[in-house]
Order: sequence, then structure tokens, then C-alpha cells
Amino acid sequence: MKTASKIYTGIIMLFLFAPIIILLIFSFNEAKSLSVYSGFSLNWYKELFKDAETLNAVRNTLVLAVSASLISTVMGTAAAVGINKLRNKYLRMTLDTVTNIPMINPDIITGISLMLMFVFVGRLFGAATSLSFWTMLIAHITFCLPYVILQVLPKLQQMDSSLPEAAMDLGCTPLRAFFKVEVPEIMPGIVTGLIMAFTLSLDDFVISYFTSGNGFETLPIRIYNMTKKTVTPKMYALATIIFFVILALLILNNLVDDEAVAKSAKTKAAAKKEHSRTRKIAVGIIGGVLAVGCVFILVFSGSRTLELNVYNWGEYISDGSDDSLDTVKAFEEWYEETYGQKVKVNYSTYASNEDMYAKLSSGAVSFDLVIPSDYMIARMLNEDMLLPLDFDNIPNYKYISEDFRGLYYDPDDIYTVPYTYGVIGIMYNANVVDEADATGWELLWNEKYAGDILQFNNSRDAFATAQYKLDLDINSTDHANWDRALEELKAQRPLVKSYVMDEIYNMMESGEAAIAAYYAGDYFTMVDAQAEDVDLRFYYPDHTNYFVDAMCIPSCCQNKELAEIFINYMLSPEPAIANAEYIYYACPNSAVYEDEGYMEDLGEEAIAILYPEMESFRELYNKYAYRNLDNETLSYINTLWETLKIG
Amino acid sequence: MRKIIELKNITKAYDGQVVLDNINLDIYDNEFLTLLGPSGCGKTTTLRLIGGFESADAGDVIFLGENINDVPPYKRNVNTVFQRYALFPHLNVFENVAFPLREKKVPRDEIEQKVQDMLALVALTGFENRSVTSLSGGQQQRVAIARALISRPKVLLLDEPLAALDLKLRKDMQAELKKIQKATGITFVFVTHDQEEALSMSDTVVVMSEGRIQQIGTPVDIYNEPENAFVADFIGESNILDGVMLSDYRVAFSGHVFDCVDSGFSKREAVDVVVRPEDVDIVAEDKGMLKGVVTSVTFLGVHYEIIVDINGFKWMIQTTDFVDVDEHIGLYIEPDAIHIMKKSEYSGLYGDYSSFSNELDELSDAESESEE
Amino acid sequence: MRNKHTSRGSLVQRLTLAPYSVWASFFIIVPLIFVAYYAFTDSEFNFTFENITRFFTATSSVTENGVDKEVHTYLVIFGRSLKLAVISTIICLIMGYPIAYIISRASARAQKIMITLIMIPMWMNFLIRTYAWMTILQDTGILNGILESLGLRPVHIIGTEAAVVIGMVYDYFPYMILPIYSVMAKMDIRLIEAARDLGCNSVGVLRRVIWPLSLPGVISGINMVLIPSISTFYISQKLGNGMFYLIGDAIEGQYIANNLHFAAAIAFILMVILLVCMALLQRATSRKTAV
Repeated sequence: MKTASKIYTGIIMLFLFAPIIILLIFSFNEAKSLSVYSGFSLNWYKELFKDAETLNAVRNTLVLAVSASLISTVMGTAAAVGINKLRNKYLRMTLDTVTNIPMINPDIITGISLMLMFVFVGRLFGAATSLSFWTMLIAHITFCLPYVILQVLPKLQQMDSSLPEAAMDLGCTPLRAFFKVEVPEIMPGIVTGLIMAFTLSLDDFVISYFTSGNGFETLPIRIYNMTKKTVTPKMYALATIIFFVILALLILNNLVDDEAVAKSAKTKAAAKKEHSRTRKIAVGIIGGVLAVGCVFILVFSGSRTLELNVYNWGEYISDGSDDSLDTVKAFEEWYEETYGQKVKVNYSTYASNEDMYAKLSSGAVSFDLVIPSDYMIARMLNEDMLLPLDFDNIPNYKYISEDFRGLYYDPDDIYTVPYTYGVIGIMYNANVVDEADATGWELLWNEKYAGDILQFNNSRDAFATAQYKLDLDINSTDHANWDRALEELKAQRPLVKSYVMDEIYNMMESGEAAIAAYYAGDYFTMVDAQAEDVDLRFYYPDHTNYFVDAMCIPSCCQNKELAEIFINYMLSPEPAIANAEYIYYACPNSAVYEDEGYMEDLGEEAIAILYPEMESFRELYNKYAYRNLDNETLSYINTLWETLKIG
Repeated sequence: MRKIIELKNITKAYDGQVVLDNINLDIYDNEFLTLLGPSGCGKTTTLRLIGGFESADAGDVIFLGENINDVPPYKRNVNTVFQRYALFPHLNVFENVAFPLREKKVPRDEIEQKVQDMLALVALTGFENRSVTSLSGGQQQRVAIARALISRPKVLLLDEPLAALDLKLRKDMQAELKKIQKATGITFVFVTHDQEEALSMSDTVVVMSEGRIQQIGTPVDIYNEPENAFVADFIGESNILDGVMLSDYRVAFSGHVFDCVDSGFSKREAVDVVVRPEDVDIVAEDKGMLKGVVTSVTFLGVHYEIIVDINGFKWMIQTTDFVDVDEHIGLYIEPDAIHIMKKSEYSGLYGDYSSFSNELDELSDAESESEE
Repeated sequence: MRNKHTSRGSLVQRLTLAPYSVWASFFIIVPLIFVAYYAFTDSEFNFTFENITRFFTATSSVTENGVDKEVHTYLVIFGRSLKLAVISTIICLIMGYPIAYIISRASARAQKIMITLIMIPMWMNFLIRTYAWMTILQDTGILNGILESLGLRPVHIIGTEAAVVIGMVYDYFPYMILPIYSVMAKMDIRLIEAARDLGCNSVGVLRRVIWPLSLPGVISGINMVLIPSISTFYISQKLGNGMFYLIGDAIEGQYIANNLHFAAAIAFILMVILLVCMALLQRATSRKTAV
């Protein structure tokens, strides 16, 4: 290679590997930050292995990728054989076109089209859930198939067509001839197809996003759903491990190949290499099939136990990391001890209320327990999507503070049990922002800090900031009200650095941005990870949003009693405290906020922010909480939001 | 002799195009039979019908008295040597040859013995562990033959097996194939478009054209007594002229009346007359039955090939005597050198060398081969 | 007599093709029909053109350089998606073509290693890769850290269209290299020698021999980069600081807002436009190679 070529190749490789090096480095970061490096630590690797749900997602991803790639390889190879034999020109053209569709259609269309069909067909047959592991598997097989066919077909076309005839001539049935002669010939194509299918399935997010259902969460979906809270460095740790596993496999593969080359060079029989390689590949495939068999047995054998499908925000339960309690596992153990029966909790996550609502209302999934926010609860109740709770099964409801009973969304306390509550406040970097400016919503519109301000990347919260600032009703159905808020947001847009959800963590921690409104509890997560030259502070503006997230049982629930037992368990002191400590949101559970240990751990500042002194939560809440809006208004807001975004 | 294979009224078409038109053919035990014809004549299709890779639209394939129309290839006691050998690239020489035995679950030591014997027959002892892709064309050829013979088929089908070999190797393999056929006593059905190959190897030659059998006979019969202009032209070189049968043993062509050895035609019947180039003697112009001018001379080693213009018809003559271009010469033809044929659809299509050129001939040969 | 076993071949064919044909009809064709069905119906499943017309007529007022003006919301969104996707595709091509050529001319061993290296990033989760780019590109990020330590002025990239383009280029870069490489690797080296022999200089060889021969790879590379980048929604959210609403975001937004029928309509229109573009591209190149 010429020097110029070498330099160019080097630059390209640097470009390709820069992000990978970054995540490699940050996986060893001591702090929970993806932008501020504060020292070497293996902490995140420990955390990763304690995170049962993430490991479960890894397992799910692998099960899905292995089964989808194997099935699509078998079916695609058969299809390629059939297409290759096809003499009818029109039929062949049709099949070629159909095969091309998933490749020239964007993922998002493939995903949506399959989702629409599954949901429609599911409704037609009255199925409680139409999206499941199986729909995801179907979707993955569907988009993998064309790649397999396109790898195998050319190999078949290149093959001497008299080879299978020769085998038949020599006594093979057509089927045996195929396996004994054709398969070894087209093996390189099959293997490439298999690897491509596996890769595509492993990395797919978009199609999975639309077709995933109950309790079967793959890694990309889990990561996406962390975006309400934050993508933790343990995901970087996971990526690093994946990287090294792949690297090891590739190096191993290369070494074996080189050995074969060396050997064949010695014997001067170059083709022998081919021979030993096909054999190796065959062995590999058999091994793969066996492995999948085992995984399948693991996944589906013990599944005759009770199952509970929980649907919650990402990063919204104590999951065993940071030496916390693994709530789900603890429940499973507790249940078996108490009731002598095994229960399996299938835990899935969502990124927003609207995400959850879209899935549930499509009728495509069935969950036994969901934890939406207040206004979404009102909406779901309005649409008969929730079941009344049997409080006999939830004696621990006694811990719920009086303040959180009879709130507007569930005035008679029939459907919901509060999980957390909170207030939206404003945080700022005191090293950038003058203390004097840090007051009221005006800070977010302060031109002095243009380019340092963050705004919510979801319409309801973003509009609310403007409405609170203008002292407008956040629950108005008057278009003029929303139009005014839009004008305010448009005026703010030039000052805004970024519309964020989880990205806020990085940006505030690293000093990338200086001002943001966010949920109070999350402020502490950021303070913990802030860079040396960042000094985050927090205050509440006069009018602000109060919210409650509550556990409820959707009408698609399959095992209501079990769900109620779970709710009750979540209210009992030990898991409730663990959760509150992990999530860092305020808790309406007296077993928590009256617990001295918990309060001591929080410290005074945190108490002041999380549990601010207020005369009556109920009063403020009823005044400033989001209410459910009618469809017409929601649709109007969505249109306004798009307008803001295209500006 | 016993009939091994009978083809009865076989007709076959692809996409409406007839490739075999009412073929009737008997193949006998221990016979070396060659299907000869230009590309697209249907010879390979006939072979594939016998092998079981194609099925006829109409007609029957009889094997030892039994109809085998519906018997798949792997149940037929017939094996094939394919055009490009179709050796299995993922198997070595030994495993390629042993393939049919392994299919039949023959015991291990028996396989070993039989394969060794077979490799000895085709002179490939010591090549057992070689990869087939590392062999030369001739060696691959032998492996293909050994593989096809190892299960002792009643009939061996060979689809242009020598086409890919160079001339020298081809000659050797022709002799060897003949030897193997004698040694094994297996019926060989051989497909080729090379008439020389067909004549030198076969017991019976079947000349085919456009999906029909033109003539069946021994090589000598086919050469000396072609049925029609097509056969005469395809087998060797021929001057084919329009003639008129005056009476038995008297024929007129090129403005001259000749004695001949043929009879049984009606009076004044228009016929095709074949005169082989090597059967014409050159004499002085005044002594010749026909007179003409030499238009080209080509030296071919054993003899000269000259083109003579006689009243506008170009004759090809092979002679060992040198004549020069533009020389006026006379031609003398013995009665037994004249062969009379009935008029056929091929009359007038062949036998004039007016556009003859060796080079062009070879070119068109190469083209027709690559088409196949 | 007609032989009945003429159908033997087609029986095997039916057995091998049947599963795929059934699968393809149910899971490729039928779902697309559903997209069309939802696109042309309202929430009560009554036939309507409203969703389609809304895409083309919906307007919103934006302020540009202090001037208020009305724009077609979705056409603007689509135009921006198209623009960013085309830019990303062109950059991928410009960056990828030389590297594909360099690899295809390297030794067999080097080829294998480099192709493997190019593929490794594809095995890392795409969301995490995008996240890592945030860390690099943000104002206080690693790139600016390096620039600063070199005494250079920091650059503002994150939240600009450039950042989105970088994300797209990064994520889909291998899809451009691999098809071009595989065509070039099969290219007969003697063709290049022949061209040189016939008097072509390096540029001439590239322009008149290598480029036209590599066109099939280039076309499939363009396909494989353009299509995912036109419909992405994650990259724009993360690297665009949520400032850029692309067509993928619009579809996802409508899905989240439970507006399935309008989401289907946008998807439907996007699909039709892409199919037409691909058909045109195909035709243009087949004509070019035919000449």
C-alpha cells in the first residue's frame, strides 16, 4: 500500500473506532457519567452482572437473534433453491420484487406495517395480546429472509447444475443429493447469510420497537426505554464486553483459518482447506443448533409457572445495581416462600406515558400492572382501560399518606395506588448563572444564557413551562391558550441548546448546558456525577407541575390477584424504601418517609427538595397537575409541537 | 444380441419448441453407440431421457423390457459421465469414486477394494487423497469415468466427455475409453458433435439433426452410404451435386454422364450425388471427365486440399499431387466413388465449397460448441 | 401418452418455495396492504383521503430571520429528511469509495482483516454507538477537548445538522463500503492493465473502467445508506439535540400520539416516494450501463 492509502485507511479506522474507544474508556469510569471521566473503576461491570433485567434482555436478544437467523437461513436457503429452479419468468420476477421489498423499505415502514397487521388480526380473533415474542420473531425472520436469499442465490447460480444430477445419477434421492452435494457447494453463501441475519437481528431496534409485546424485551428496546432516566455506564460496560467477545471470536477464527492455509500450502492441496472449512462450518452450525435448542429449553421449559407482566418506566425500579435490592427477584422469592408456588415476573419498560398508552390501547399487548402518571390514568379511566382494585389484597395501602388519597384522577381511590410523586423544578450551574437571575421560569427565557438552556423534548412538559411562565391554565382546551404558549416557546427556541429527555444528565453533569427544568429527584443523580467545574443548584419556581405516578391494573390483565399481591408487596417497607432510594423520587408511602434510616441517608438538602414543605399537597396538586385533555386538544398540541420543531 | 434400451416414439418440446421428434432407437448389450449431430440436434436431450433427468412429453423409455418412464435417475441402473465431469469439489478422488457405494451402504473394506480396482482401471492409483480440483482435465475425466462405472451400471452415458480436452489427450482418451468398454463389457452411449471421434470409437453411430434421427449404422456404412445430404456433409467432407438418374448404374451430373454402382431409382429421378474429395483423381485437362480451374490450394501435411471451379460449382479435392492456383485440370471419378442419395429436405443446403475457408469453418465450430 | 412424472421437478420446487411464498405473502405483502388501508381510513375505518391531504396541505407558521411565514409542515419535514439523507449518502460514497478500492487491492489477508474491522462497529448496539457520539461531539466533549489542548478554537457541532449527518454517516458507513468492495474485489485486474495498455492514465482508468464496472456496488451502497438515513428517528433526537424533526420522528410522534392512521399515511407516502425514486435510479443506471 502506498503511504497515502495507509494514512487514509488510518483516518477511516479512527472514525469507525472513535466512539467504540470512548465507550470502552467510559465503561471504566468511576462516576455515573458518560461525559465526565473521574477515575478508573470496575464498578459498572459489577453493576451489570447484578442487573438481572438487563442480563435477561441480553439473553432475549440472543435467543431472538439465534432463532430468527437460523429459521430465516433454513427457509431462505430453501427459497433460493426454489427460485433458482423457477423457469416461469413472471413468477420469478414477482418473487424477486417481493424479496426486495423489505430491503428497500425503511425499517420504520416494515415495523409499522407488521404492527398494524398483528394488531388488526389480533383484534379480529379477540386475542388478549397480539404482540409477543412470536410476533417479534416473525418480524425478524421477515427482514432477515431477503439477505439470506441474496447470499445463497448467486452461489446456486454459480454451481455446476450437473452436480446434483450427478449425485442422483449415482444413487442419491433428490433430497440426499441436495444435502450431500449442493449444500457443501453453497455453504459459504449460507454461512454469510446466517451471519448477516444474526447481525441484523441483533442490532435491530426500529422494527422491534413496533412489534415487541409482553415481557419479552430485547437489549435495544431496553436501552431506548432508559431515555426517561438515563443510559447508565453499565450499558457501556455491556458494549465493551460484547466488543471483546466478538474480537476474540474473530481472532480465533482467523487463527484457525491461517492454520488451515498453512497446512494446505504444505500438502499443496489448496482445496483441502475448503474441505476442512466446510466441515468446520458444518460443525459450527450443528453446535449453533444445539445451543439454540438448549436456550429454548431454558426459556420455555419452566414457563408453566405463574407469570406476572409488569410494564414500567425505564430505570424506575430498584434493580439490584448499586448494591440495591433487586425488587423483582425479591418478589419472586418472597412469593414462592409465602405461597409455595413459583412466579415469574416479566418486566418490560417504556420511555413515556404516551408510549405505554400507544401499546396498551392498540390491544396488542397485555400487561398485569402499569405505572402511568396521573393525567394518563385519567385518560385510561375515561376509556375504561383500568380495573378496580380489590383492596383486601392490598392491606399495605394503609401506608399511603392521606395527602395522596382521593386525588382528581381517582377521587374515590378505586383504581390506583400511588407509587411516587414529584415536582418539576429548575436546576442551573452556579458557575455560569448569576444567583440573582435564578428565579422563576424567566431563567429559561433569559437571553444572557442563550445556548445554555435546555427544554423538555416532550410536548406536554415543554408547553407547561411556557404556560406556568405566562400563568396560563395548563389544562385549557382553548386553542388561543396553547397558541400563546407556542409563541412563547418559539421565542425561546433560539436560546435553547437542546430539547432533551435523558440527554439532560450528560449535558448538565458536564457543563455542556447550564439551565434546565426537570423532575426534582433526578437533580440528585446529576449532582452526584457533576464535573469538577460544575456546581449544580436547584429551585422551585412559583407555579410548577406536581405529578403522581401510580400503580394500576389495566383491563387486559390476566391475573388480577397476583398483580394486587405485587402492588401490596411494593408497598411493604423493605422494597418501598429500596425503591425510593434507588429512584430518588419522593414517596407517598409513610413506611418510607417516616423511616429514619431513609431520611438520614437522604440528608437535609435532599429532603428539602424532595419533600418540600407545603401546606397542602392536594391543593397545589389539584391546581397544577396535568389533567387529561380531549383528543381534539391533544391532536392540536401535537400539531403545534411539530410546528415548533420544524422552525 | 439383447436389447437393453428401447426408445419408442419419443417426443419432447421445451416452451413449444420441439427438440425431439418421434425418436425410435434400440440400444444393444455390450455396444458402443454414439449419438452424433450438431449442437441443438437433441442428442444430449436423448441422453438425459435415458438417464432420467428429463421426461418425454410422449413415448416410452424401455429398459430391459420394462417401461422406466417414471423411474427416477437414482433408481435407474444407468450412470452418466457429465460434460464438465460434475466431480464433487468438496470430496477427494477416493470419496468421489466411492460416492455411489457409500449411498448403497456397501461395507467399508469392500468399498476400499472396489475403489482401488476402479482407480487401477483408469490408471489413477496413488491419487486417492488428491483433491479433484487439483487434477488435470484428463485426470478429472478418469475420475468421472471411475465414479460412473463403480456400481457396474448396465449402461454408461457419456455426454461429450472429451470436448474439454486438447487434441492429443483426446486421442489417448478415445483409445482408453474403447479399451475400458471392451474390458467391462458395459454398453456405452456416447454423445459427441465430433464426427471423427464418432467414427473411430463406435460400433453404431446415430446421426441426429433437428430432433430427428437421420441415420443409424456402422461407421463404415455412415461414411460410405450416407442417407441424405445432411449426413453426407456432416460426416467427412463431401461434394454434393444435383444429378439425374438416367437408368440403373447411370447418372448425369455436372454436364457429364457417369457410371455408378447404385440402382433402384426410377427413371430420370432427380437425386443427390456425393463424391468424397479423396475419391477424385486429378488428370490432365484433356483426359478428365470434368474440367475446371484451381482456385485455391491449401497444404495440410498429408495432402493438399484444393478447390476446383467446375462450371461455377466449387469442388473440394484432396490430393497428394501439387497443382497450382489458376491451373486448368481434369477430374477423373471411379464408378464406386459415386454415391447416389434420394432427394431430401437437406438437398441443396450442403456440398458446395464456394464459400469455403478453413478458418471460417473452425470459427463456426467454436461458436456451436460454446452455444452448448 | 402423457407422462405423469413431468411434474417431479416442480414438486420439489413447490416444496422449497411454498414456505417462503406463504411467508412473503403474509408478512411482506399483507402488512403493506394494511399500511395502505390505515392510510386511507379514519379512526372508525371509514374511507377517507384526509390523512393523505393533510400530509400535503398542513401548514404552520415559522419565524425565519425575523419574518413570519407559512410553510407546509410535512413537506418541510420531508424535505429536510431528504436533504440530510442525501448529504449523508454522498459523504458515505466519497469517503467509502476510496477505502473500498484500497481494500480490494490489498493482499487477501489484509482484505480480510480490514473488512472485519469495518464490520465490528456494526455488532455494537446502534443506540449505544450514537450515545458515544454525543460524548464526543458535545461542546464540552472530547473533540473540543482535543482541539483545545492543541490550542485550536472549539467547534459547535452538537445540535446542528452537521451532527445528525455525522451520526448517519457513521452508522451506515459500512453499508456503503461492503457492496462496493465486493464488486471491486471481483473485478478482473487485467481489465485495468488492458486499459493502461490502451493508453489510459490513472484518472482515465478510474473514470472509464473502474467506476463504470463498480456501479452496481455503488447503487446498492446508495440504496443501503439512503433508505435507513431518510427514515431514522433516533439519531436526530440524540445528535440533533431534538432541534430537527425528521420524517421518522413524525411517524414515531404520530404513533406515540396514538394517531395510527396518520402515521400509516406518512409511512405510505414515504414508501411510494422511495419506490418511485428507486425505480428511477434503477432505470437510469441500467440505461447508462447499456450505452
